[in-house]
Amino acid sequence: MADPKRSLLRAVLALCWLGLWAVPSSAAAFDRAAFAQDLCGDGAAQVRGVEGFVKAGGVLPAHDLAYAGRLLGALAERRLTCPADGALLLDRPGAPEGHDALTGAVRPVAEARAPVLGLRQRAAVETARGVVALLTGPDPATRGAGLSVVERRVASVPAAVLDRARDAETDAGLKATIAGLTQAAALSSPDPARRRAAIAAVAASPSGAAEARLTALKSDPAYTADPAFRAALDAGLSRVTRAVAIGDGLAVLYNGLSFASILFMAAAGLAIIFGLMGVINLAQGEFIMLGAYATYGVQEAFRRLAPDLLDLYLVAAIPVAFLAVALVGIVVEALILRHLYRRPLMSLLATWAVSLFLVNLVRVTVGTQNLQFIMPAYVSGGVPLYADFVVTWNRLFAIGFAAATVVLTLLILRRTPLGLDIRAVTQNRDMAACLGLPTRRVDRLAFGLGSGLAGLAGVALCPIYSVNPGMGSGFIVDSFMVVVLGGVGSLLGTLVAALGVGGANVLIEPISGAVAAKVIVLVGIILFLQRRPEGLFAVRRRR
Amino acid sequence: MTHLTRRSFVGTAALLAAPALIRPSFAADTVKLGCLFSSSGTMANLEGRLNHVVRMAADELNGRGGVNGRQIEVVTSDPASDWPLYAQVGRQMLQQDKVAALFGCWTSVSRKSVLPVVEQNDGLLFYPLHFEGDENSKNVVYVNSPPASSVLPAVDYLMGPDGVGAKRFFMIGSDYVWPRTINKQLKGYWTSKGIPESAWREEYVPFGFSNFQTLVNQVRSFASQPGGQAIVVLTVVGSSIPDFLREFANQGISATDVPILGLDMVEADLEGLDTGKLVGHLNCWAYLQAAKGERNQKFLADWAAYVRAKNVPFSADTVIDPMVSAYDSVHLWALAAAKAGSFAVPEVRKAFAGLSFDDPSGYTLTMTGENNYVSRGVFIGSVNEKRGFDVLWQSPDAPKPAPFSPYG
Repeated sequence: MADPKRSLLRAVLALCWLGLWAVPSSAAAFDRAAFAQDLCGDGAAQVRGVEGFVKAGGVLPAHDLAYAGRLLGALAERRLTCPADGALLLDRPGAPEGHDALTGAVRPVAEARAPVLGLRQRAAVETARGVVALLTGPDPATRGAGLSVVERRVASVPAAVLDRARDAETDAGLKATIAGLTQAAALSSPDPARRRAAIAAVAASPSGAAEARLTALKSDPAYTADPAFRAALDAGLSRVTRAVAIGDGLAVLYNGLSFASILFMAAAGLAIIFGLMGVINLAQGEFIMLGAYATYGVQEAFRRLAPDLLDLYLVAAIPVAFLAVALVGIVVEALILRHLYRRPLMSLLATWAVSLFLVNLVRVTVGTQNLQFIMPAYVSGGVPLYADFVVTWNRLFAIGFAAATVVLTLLILRRTPLGLDIRAVTQNRDMAACLGLPTRRVDRLAFGLGSGLAGLAGVALCPIYSVNPGMGSGFIVDSFMVVVLGGVGSLLGTLVAALGVGGANVLIEPISGAVAAKVIVLVGIILFLQRRPEGLFAVRRRR
Repeated sequence: MTHLTRRSFVGTAALLAAPALIRPSFAADTVKLGCLFSSSGTMANLEGRLNHVVRMAADELNGRGGVNGRQIEVVTSDPASDWPLYAQVGRQMLQQDKVAALFGCWTSVSRKSVLPVVEQNDGLLFYPLHFEGDENSKNVVYVNSPPASSVLPAVDYLMGPDGVGAKRFFMIGSDYVWPRTINKQLKGYWTSKGIPESAWREEYVPFGFSNFQTLVNQVRSFASQPGGQAIVVLTVVGSSIPDFLREFANQGISATDVPILGLDMVEADLEGLDTGKLVGHLNCWAYLQAAKGERNQKFLADWAAYVRAKNVPFSADTVIDPMVSAYDSVHLWALAAAKAGSFAVPEVRKAFAGLSFDDPSGYTLTMTGENNYVSRGVFIGSVNEKRGFDVLWQSPDAPKPAPFSPYG
């Protein structure tokens, strides 16, 4: 790999470069060629070049910053290639020709190597790009994004850069954040007043990292010597600790709610099917899977027909998935289950067969790989809300989705003629039939409703789980657990049980690990059902 | 519809299910190779590909006239990610189908379940995955690397100046033998380097686990504690890998904050993910799709052509290490059988000593008479935006495999 001539050249260049930076950096002009050469060098040269650039960042003129920003961006995106002389910027990775980094002339890419960033180099490049964005970004959003990178690695950014950014900043909010950051950077300043201000600044944005930083100060000699420092540190630390504890509490609540929403979505359809007809539908997980595949179909349709509206496909998929899976459910009911109503064991076997059939059908027609979904902004990433508590959008989407499902399903069951029929048949099938209700038709519609709800679960799960033919099998046990615990036939019971099981899992997991959490929850459910076999909310019915 | 009785139903079901388990073959003048890879359950997306690669390699050999004058016939099955079923299907293949060799298993728990079967029947199992080592059966050919020549170089890289100078380690694994043994060896290794026990944490999740919120929260709080740079050593398998990565990225942790070393992470696990936020996470294998060289280009082209020709339900553009290892396995077996001039297991086994094969990774695979391990090269890969891995580091040559770890 190492061509001796090249490595010699590189060593000489590195030496020259070192010579350049040995003189005070503010005095030296930015050597563009050496910077490009460093980015093309080995890992050590890259780090040296990039860190040197960040150190000098406070005094470099804007055109040099922009130049470095272009090169760093290209390096991070693998658009920087390195022929024997100089560096080339490509428009896209693997392009046949590129612009020379120094002259801008178009040159063909022949025998050029595209360096891969190691982790240390990547961190340095990210910081440097953050500095460039902070100092030269045209709008507050770009500068804010740069600032958030700089904030994470504030230790490796010199004060001069922050000072320059603060002085040049026009946006009041950003200016205040940068000021807070410069203040916090003075945590080890010799001036006690600035130090106390720094503690307050660190405590103002609480996080686990801030807590660690402040805790480390407890071993500082000033902590015992200077009562004012001690008081400031204790106050700051208690503020951060409290905030972190609250943030963690919120995280547990959010995790529990999110898991519960998934459990509920998976179990809601089953609550209706199992509750109404006593059919143990083992294909329920596969109905969820079909819902996810329907969502994929909608995405593909949008991609072909309306690429501009692609981000909305998840919303458009809601009715499609519901109707498609409801239709599948109705067909299954009409073809198979309606013959087996009086024989629960047979219907169990038959629905199991349906589930195997569906899995293999999808596997043969679509394939077993995970489907590629485009994640719109509203279901990807997250936002730090308070201390270490991050709200992830995909989970929030599922929680909102589950909440809407609860409300709509309850409305259907309580406020519509279909709901009235379903409740009547659930409570006393024979009496309902005597009163002239078409119980078979009600069965079919209820089965369709239950299947459709599983389809909706598929939509909600797309942004959270991988979608493949086998995805449904994981849900069936959990959903039965929730339905039986909640009380057969009670949607509210299912909701409460999902919240309980989700919350219990999330609470136990940090203490005893995920494996034991699952076991403990299962044992708890068994014990509970021993005492109360009808579940939490039993629907009174006559047999 | 006729009236179904329970008996007729069960009978019909049994009839329908029987041919699915093993697809029998009746041709003469052939030698049979058996595949033990699941096409359903949690491992389906990964193991399923290997059936097709074995077929592809067999087709390649058949095109050159077969082995010892006989055409190769591949028998496939579906153990459904159900570990005991691997043993059952394996036994059936050895005893009824009389296969000359088995190619199979992904998880170590499935290999452990097949192990007694191949030993009792004196069969030969080619195992294409890198694994925890500490096993040396004369009936298993360990085609991929034990930890000393895969995991430890990667961990060393992360702890060294080129990596991130990692000081603290969060181990997350699926709860079975491979992650537990790997983690035990890693802990032994770190202890031997003088790293205190407080510097690591170990968590396990059930198979197919997908709700990683709490664990990712824990990783974040672990990383924010003092004591040096933290990394995650990820040994979850199957569908848990993409689910973990997705949650990790959504909670805003980047590879430069806390890098993940995904020991079972392959190109296929990134399918369906937006890898823009995952760039920089690492894996380590004996082959990466980005490996340089003509042989790799040819293999990639062959696979793409095979997928299109046979309408294989997997991506034509994704090739993962176990696929190449399965491909190597078939060729190693064929070389040994040709050298021995026989398909009898003891003869083939004797022929392993001194075997060498130039595989798509660019390294030359070699076997010695000492054990059934194969020496392979080492790659460290880094996730890129295009759902693949860039080669970050690769070993100068193929190190000699050490079956047993000195670290616990």
